[in-house]
Amino acid sequence: MAELTLDDVTKVFTEDDGNEITAVDEVSVDIEDGEFLVLVGPSGCGKSTTLRMIAGLETITSGEIRLAGQRINELPPAERDIAMVFQSYALYPHMTVRENMSFGLEESTEMAEAEIMEKVEDTATLMEIEELLDRKPSELSGGQQQRVALGRAIVRAPEAFLMDEPLSNLDAKLRATMRTELQRIQNDLDVTTVYVTHDQTEAMTMGDRIAILNDGVLQQVGTPLECYHTPNNRFVAGFIGDPSMNFFEMAVDDDRLVVDRFEYPLKPAQQEAVAGKSNVVFGIRPEDIRIKEPGGLSDNYQFEVTVDVVEPRGDENTIHLTFDRSVEEPVTFTATVSGLRNLSAGDEVVATFPPDSIHLFDVDSGVALHNRTFEEEDAEAVEQVP
Amino acid sequence: MSHETATTTDERSLFGYTWQRLTLYTVLAAMTVFYLIPIETGLMTAITDPASYTGSYPYLPPLEPLIPGTGEFSLAPWQGALDGLGQGLVNSIILVVPATILSGLLGSMAAFGLTTISWRGQIGIYILFVAGIFIPYQAVLVPLTQFWYNVVPLQAAFQPLAALPLVETYHWKLVALIITHTAYGLPICTLLFRAHYKKLSDEMVEAAQLDGASVATIYRRIILPLSIPMFAVVFIYQFTQIWNDLLFALTIIQFGDAAVVTQDLVGIGVSQSGTNFPLRMAAALLAALPTLLVYIFFGDKFAKGVAA
Repeated sequence: MAELTLDDVTKVFTEDDGNEITAVDEVSVDIEDGEFLVLVGPSGCGKSTTLRMIAGLETITSGEIRLAGQRINELPPAERDIAMVFQSYALYPHMTVRENMSFGLEESTEMAEAEIMEKVEDTATLMEIEELLDRKPSELSGGQQQRVALGRAIVRAPEAFLMDEPLSNLDAKLRATMRTELQRIQNDLDVTTVYVTHDQTEAMTMGDRIAILNDGVLQQVGTPLECYHTPNNRFVAGFIGDPSMNFFEMAVDDDRLVVDRFEYPLKPAQQEAVAGKSNVVFGIRPEDIRIKEPGGLSDNYQFEVTVDVVEPRGDENTIHLTFDRSVEEPVTFTATVSGLRNLSAGDEVVATFPPDSIHLFDVDSGVALHNRTFEEEDAEAVEQVP
Repeated sequence: MSHETATTTDERSLFGYTWQRLTLYTVLAAMTVFYLIPIETGLMTAITDPASYTGSYPYLPPLEPLIPGTGEFSLAPWQGALDGLGQGLVNSIILVVPATILSGLLGSMAAFGLTTISWRGQIGIYILFVAGIFIPYQAVLVPLTQFWYNVVPLQAAFQPLAALPLVETYHWKLVALIITHTAYGLPICTLLFRAHYKKLSDEMVEAAQLDGASVATIYRRIILPLSIPMFAVVFIYQFTQIWNDLLFALTIIQFGDAAVVTQDLVGIGVSQSGTNFPLRMAAALLAALPTLLVYIFFGDKFAKGVAA
């Protein structure tokens, strides 16, 4: 158990034709002792490469990785005291579950055979795989193999766990169960964990903090709620949250934003944020948009819109709305409403974009100019509700 | 429905089989006979008394005096073959077993180093290995003789070992042949193992690395156990190749006590008074027996390895 530090870590791959590709670009993160950090991003963003550099399976082009304050750049994987869970599980097919789990202890420690067996059995009990100990991986289901792969990492009691999309080969139901269980186990063991995923739901639900990567560049590191409510830039805003945030590119006209279909008045603080810009990107999350029956606009934050498509999800419905259905390519945006709301395509409704909930981003750089009102105290209050 | 039944009845012609099936079985039976007749003839000839062989039908069982013109039954040819080939068989076994194991093991290790472990320049080395497959035997015969007789003082170096029990002075030639066959078999063994290792999961090897295993341990505890089906393929292939080889044996051993079974087989049963066909047939069958046994014992593993 130790803190893990990435300091300006960079990875440049040189292709056969001499082209250089920067897969990871000066990523710096401090991962505290016992913290669960989720590294998330679209495929090809460099998250797996980052993990493999921590593991020692890839060389580091520049920068430094420290585990418990010690530089580990030059250490071979075997000497880093790190365990990794792979997406394919990577179990040894010719060994029984017991042999799979004891292999690491036999190779990396001087422990006596009896002690190893005891540890293996304890871990197997923790992972609820005691009955599988004498079976071969080919005789196990995907979920059982997943447990063995986790058990193999846990039994070594390493300084840190690395997990590379460990749940992505499981079916949706099992994935949800394992997600909770993984969190419970990580909490009990209190081992520093870096978890890589492309699934923003996993990132939001599992991480103490999440680190969002895009094109090898770290976009933001923060608690899930920070990243959700106060994104650093448009990429984070669009990546975190499902359905995604709505974006409109609008012109700044003194105290309001203007686009073909609608105008949006800005509050003084918001005006200050966009001062000097001619255009900005306006963003609002689907669940922040309020939908009411038609019948007069009571303020300037309300707009008359038409329902385009309704996607029922049970607990809530995702509705696609448009300002004007008659246009060739209408601008659409999404809103989520209660699953019991009876709306259907073609309905005329009124949408409210509350001024407290809007985000404003720079058009070119995507940097957040203004985020919604969000107090850290609120977040803790929300976390304590259940 | 009724129409279908009618057609089926029409097609049934003889003993309830369709003409198509009957043709197929006839062709299959004919091919079986065609392929087995030479072996059957060899077997029948090998158990015929040489004195009564001339003028008999070689493919009929020797049932004289019951049926005239078939020759008299005798096991003398086998006795003669055993006497004539005994030394050669022993020499061949001394040669084949180590050469097969060595080429398989070294091929597997080379393939591991060239495939599973990555390092700069490995493709260049691998290309050198593959190029070895294409060097024609004829091109190396003279250099080989020079190498073993004039360049490497193996004969002198082997001298002290001859004092050991069961080791003879002439065994140095077999050692030279073992090394030659191992070297010549290495490229194809490496190629076969490499194809197998490329299919193994990289993540599994990485997991072993993270588990603290060294390169040697990964080979011994992970890769080697997973190579068993491929070893069966390589062993059968190399065993047959080396056992049947005559060219290298003639080049390196040339003649004398170290002669292997293929060399002895050339001259057995040939004399000025004529060819002793029963003896030659018995000797040929005897010389082929070990490869046959290897196929029988490792056949199922071979099939698994080829399919893997």
